[in-house]
Amino acid sequence: MATATGVYHTTYRKDLALRHTRAEYVRLGLLAALAVWLPFNLNPYWLGYANLILLAAIAAVGLNILTGYTGLISLATAGFLGVGAYTAANLTTFYHWPMPVAVLVATLLAAAIGALFGLPALRLKGLYLAISTFAAQEILSDRFRDWKWLVRGHGTVTTSYPTIGGHPFKSTFEWYWLLLVITGLVVLAGINLFRTGLGRAFIAIRDQDIAAEVMGVPVGRYKVLAFSIACGLAGFSGALQAYYPTTQTVTWENYEIGRSFIFVAMIIVGGLGSISGAVYGAIFMTWVPAYITRIGQTLQRSSLHVLIEKLSAVQLTLFGLVLVGFLLVEPRGLARLWQRAKDYFRIWPFRY
Amino acid sequence: MTRFLTLTINGLANGAILAITALGFVLIYKATEVINFAQGQFLLVGAYMVYNANQTWGLPWPVAVAVGVGCGVLLGLAIERLILRRMIGESALSVIMVTIGLASAMSGVVLGVWGAGGRRGPSFIPSGSVHLVGDVSVAANRIWAVGVATVVLIAVGLFFQRSRHGVAMRAVADDQQAAMVQGINVNRVFAMAWALAGATGAIGGVLLASIAGSYGPEIEGFAIFVFPVVILGGLDSVLGTVVGGVIVGLLVEYSKSYLTVSWSVILPFAALVAILLVKPYGLFGQVRIERV
Amino acid sequence: MNRFARKLALPLCIALLLGAACGKDKKSPAASKGATKEDVKIGAIFDLSGATADIGTPYADGIKDYVEYKNASGGVDGHKLALSWQDYKYDPTLATQLYGQYVSEGAKVFMGWGTGDTEALRPKVNADKIPFMSASNAETLTDPSVTPYNFFPGASYSQQMRIILQYISDQNKGKHVEVAVFHHDSPFGTSPLEDGKKYITDKKLDIGFKDYAMPKGATDYVAQIGQATAQKAKYIIIQNVPSPAAVLATNLASAKSTAQVVCLNYCANEIFVKKAGAAAEKMIGVVPFAPPVAGLPGLEDINNFLKAKNTDAAAKGQGYVQGWYTMASMVEGIKNALDAGGSLTGEAIKAGLEKIKDFKTGVSDPINFSSTFHAGLLSAPLYQVVGGQFKKIQDPIKVEK
Repeated sequence: MATATGVYHTTYRKDLALRHTRAEYVRLGLLAALAVWLPFNLNPYWLGYANLILLAAIAAVGLNILTGYTGLISLATAGFLGVGAYTAANLTTFYHWPMPVAVLVATLLAAAIGALFGLPALRLKGLYLAISTFAAQEILSDRFRDWKWLVRGHGTVTTSYPTIGGHPFKSTFEWYWLLLVITGLVVLAGINLFRTGLGRAFIAIRDQDIAAEVMGVPVGRYKVLAFSIACGLAGFSGALQAYYPTTQTVTWENYEIGRSFIFVAMIIVGGLGSISGAVYGAIFMTWVPAYITRIGQTLQRSSLHVLIEKLSAVQLTLFGLVLVGFLLVEPRGLARLWQRAKDYFRIWPFRY
Repeated sequence: MTRFLTLTINGLANGAILAITALGFVLIYKATEVINFAQGQFLLVGAYMVYNANQTWGLPWPVAVAVGVGCGVLLGLAIERLILRRMIGESALSVIMVTIGLASAMSGVVLGVWGAGGRRGPSFIPSGSVHLVGDVSVAANRIWAVGVATVVLIAVGLFFQRSRHGVAMRAVADDQQAAMVQGINVNRVFAMAWALAGATGAIGGVLLASIAGSYGPEIEGFAIFVFPVVILGGLDSVLGTVVGGVIVGLLVEYSKSYLTVSWSVILPFAALVAILLVKPYGLFGQVRIERV
Repeated sequence: MNRFARKLALPLCIALLLGAACGKDKKSPAASKGATKEDVKIGAIFDLSGATADIGTPYADGIKDYVEYKNASGGVDGHKLALSWQDYKYDPTLATQLYGQYVSEGAKVFMGWGTGDTEALRPKVNADKIPFMSASNAETLTDPSVTPYNFFPGASYSQQMRIILQYISDQNKGKHVEVAVFHHDSPFGTSPLEDGKKYITDKKLDIGFKDYAMPKGATDYVAQIGQATAQKAKYIIIQNVPSPAAVLATNLASAKSTAQVVCLNYCANEIFVKKAGAAAEKMIGVVPFAPPVAGLPGLEDINNFLKAKNTDAAAKGQGYVQGWYTMASMVEGIKNALDAGGSLTGEAIKAGLEKIKDFKTGVSDPINFSSTFHAGLLSAPLYQVVGGQFKKIQDPIKVEK
């Protein structure tokens, strides 16, 4: 554990605390300061990406709870993003419900459908379960394409700027604060989950589900609950995205299997079994492709014409190589990398 | 009746190609317990290499196919040696992610070298129509595809049953440590598994391109159906891939035609989940006995 | 493993830090081309590697080359054109991001591509007042009261559908005819369907109309052909890009189908002929922008330009010519705005575009825009593939809605 030596907890309260040492509080303070400083100093292009990262992090946290902590692989994240997005968009555009209510209903609906598609978890394990979630994803994405009543014949649903408590949220800047608060709460909720008995039960299920059953953990019920939580969070993220300025048009092409793989990549690169890992992964998987695109655009202004024509190919290849390279270096993800960095400085000048 | 026959043959042909692709996947899984998400890209690279050898370098088609298969083998070996060997012992999901990264990189390279538009390539199997019963006319290349696939599958089956290396592979799949004790070089078996997967991928890719008439990016998309096939048949069963391939191929064709295109996606997957609920390890998969 | 890891860790950290540093830079302004008059910034997205890349690539070349051609002769009234473009892979989200980026960098007009993303961008385009010319010919983009800033120079897909349905009805007077429409599985594909059905009921044509989706990434369409055969379809209309259409044509030939294949504008081109080979024979194409066959008047400028690159319009293909003239129409609108006096705002360019009357391209009927209609053409000729070459079989047909 990356805490200082000589830290002893004398009460249960202190043992359960989120931060144990002063160093950790300082780091947290720095992080908060960074989060507040960013919107004033990033240009709108990168601030937009920061918003996308925050949105993705919500779904990534959910997925990490399911896959990292409970050990159930899910390839259906994109489908549930879509459930949330379509529900929220439909409720506001066609039935004129206020945005917060629509988002809440969308989240609950996604959670309910997630529980339904999570039922195979009662019988299947490992890759077999993963493929049944793959099936769920294909079914959902197919329904989005086929059910014309979702879009009232227009092909897509478009929402307008949301008004929360009378204040309209139009710009990237305003959205940043909204998303920062929301994602912060979700991350906090995620971390708290694993301080409770339910969280520990999830971890027990991942490690040895038969032994957990023997110990009294209602494995079946909790597996479905884990699916419910993950899909609910994905729905929440999707619903919010339906109102976000650059993704206000809900179209089925955005909720296909490729996107699910990106989320799985997020939690693996970020670090399985770590809430902060989910956030790191979201940052990595959103920012790296954008950065590569940026490099490509800068090159376009020079005269490396060959590279520009092949920009998409280069992006794809580079991205794949970065992913592979990263995992070869640290298969346990960014969270572990950060852990190792902290340990290195803590123990320095000793080696271990 | 005409329609039914056409669809059946079509479904069998697609199923045969799926079976070959799934075969490579199962080989890797059986020997190394790695789930290879880059199998579709093996199809893609293999097909494009054959196209390149035949069209760009002007080699006659049997040589071109050999070149393509050879490239598939080399690709598999390279991946196993340079990348997968370093990932031994890591969590299954990390390894899956590595294969996904590889898939992305391979797609990118193919895109960069050959562009996004499909190339109209030569068909390596006779095209034209074959007149069957009554007024049923099917494309000859589909029947050839089923034939070629059957030959390959039987060959692989015999390989596993009769040859020393095949038996060694089965031993490693069963119990790695016991195999090592017997003197089997496990690393070499891993390499062989990947090489075979690359080779069968290349063959599958060429067959697919020959049927579709074009060498294009759809080839890698085809491989997404490998997963239902493999799961249906059982992750570690060669017979299962054949049965699974045929079932999925036929189901997709029938539902596409008699129902609608959407059903052709839902029905096979729904059937898959239904079968899994009855047989959680697939039709022919080895039932895992878990010990606590 | 340890050494390997350490060797990579340092460069990785440096790369990440550099990346983070670069991320915070303000966007540096694009260098001016040295002209004393301000450049006209144009933003464009192309599909060079996505679902419609086969026709998207030559179209992109056409647009880029026209800009080069115009700049070589001094630009528009002395203003050079500055084109910023990127491949958006037919992904609507990426399209939206690129649009936002180019507009924030000062683009005055935008050249779009696909139906799905153009429709998704409509509200933004209206709010930003950026004249937007797309390759998408969806009918929903033609009504200025709904989409005041969207234009396209061709005939809408719905109009093309009406034209061919009228032709089919005229060719089969007094007989009931079944028509099977195979379409791309996207907003682009479904665009003309409802309007086609409406035209049949409005004009009381004796045509049975059924549509079949061609899913993305499919390797064959035998199943759908089975359904069309059961329908006893006499005509098969394809609303798709050339590659899937060619696969469909090949499948039809293998099944010894006797139905007449008709292609709407995006698959009626030389790419389709090349890919389908013998199966492309006798295909009828509805081509608002005609294929670059020898002798077409509008090809002179293009051929002169391409001579320096050792090629010609026929080699570059129909998509290239269409892209060329699409950019030409937009530039004509910009020219009108500049001539009307002074500032180059979105409203001025929109007015400039709506002033375009009788704009001759030579490869199509004259293009007209107006303040009540934003599609450039209402008519299209029919060409047929004979011996691997396109031949005109029907002079431009114009129908009323």
